[in-house]
Amino acid sequence: MPTIDFRTDLLPLKNKLYRLALRIVADTVEAEDITEDTLIRVWQKRDELQDLRSVEAYCLTVCRHLALDRKALHDSQNASLDDLDYDAADAAPNPLDRLVGTDHLERIREIFNRLPERQRTLIQLRDIEGLRHSQIAEIMGTTEEAVKVSICRARQRMRQEFEAIENYGL
Amino acid sequence: MDYKYIEQLLERYWNAETTLEEEHILRTFFRQSDVPAHLNRYAALFAQLDAEAAHELDSRFDERVLRRIADDERTVVRAERPTLLNVIRPLMQAAAAVVVVVLTAYGAQRAFERADRGVWDYNPASFENSYDNPQQAYKVLQEGLDIFSRTAQADTARAAVNPETEP
Repeated sequence: MPTIDFRTDLLPLKNKLYRLALRIVADTVEAEDITEDTLIRVWQKRDELQDLRSVEAYCLTVCRHLALDRKALHDSQNASLDDLDYDAADAAPNPLDRLVGTDHLERIREIFNRLPERQRTLIQLRDIEGLRHSQIAEIMGTTEEAVKVSICRARQRMRQEFEAIENYGL
Repeated sequence: MDYKYIEQLLERYWNAETTLEEEHILRTFFRQSDVPAHLNRYAALFAQLDAEAAHELDSRFDERVLRRIADDERTVVRAERPTLLNVIRPLMQAAAAVVVVVLTAYGAQRAFERADRGVWDYNPASFENSYDNPQQAYKVLQEGLDIFSRTAQADTARAAVNPETEP
């Protein structure tokens, strides 16, 4: 890889980075910040990255770590709901929803966002950004096999929850 | 119409066995409007994945990042503060170059002049007139002789008045 140019090599990655950050922190302003920091950080390190195989994969890795750091910071300021013993929200649509029927996509987004971070990120990289298993493995710092197994679990889980809503919810 | 292929693909999709190309086929299939009823339930799922891909940053973000990059560049330049010697070094180099050229030219000129002058030429054949006009030449000669005679007279008179001073 020759010298990295900001406009042609880094800036076009902004949307991918933004979506990944958004997937992890679920906050548009925060995600924008993370994207900006990722680009600046990679740009400042460009001299050390001459022999990098994929700038894209490297950027996504940096972005994920930054997003996870931010999220950890925020989570430490809030009590985690995951640890609480609470009754699941009543996912059954109220009569108005049923009448309008617009909450369908919203429901699916919820399913998606309820996945553990790792699975969510994998689905993001594979199904939304369309990356190859090898690239995803590089970003997540794991093997291709592990990536496939995790994606399989994530999809199965989405399918189950989705079919549960489809079969009984409505 | 037979949807076995799509059903197979879908099954392999859940098991993460599909390739990117096959997943692309699935996405395209579910994007069309006439998906059969038993598969239609999944259309919403794929539609949602499509919708998630639509989150994008606008050009204001570009401007902000590019400005930040420019700022960083500027600070880097500012960080390596040049010394006075470094600033005037090119000037000094230029001045030195000029001095070398001038000295060389002067030296060469001197050398050529000396070679041209040669020995004094006493040969009358190569004699050249200093003046084109004989009257002017005569006048110049007369003036020269006048100056000589005046000087000689003054010397003689001084010798007559004060003989001790004569060497």
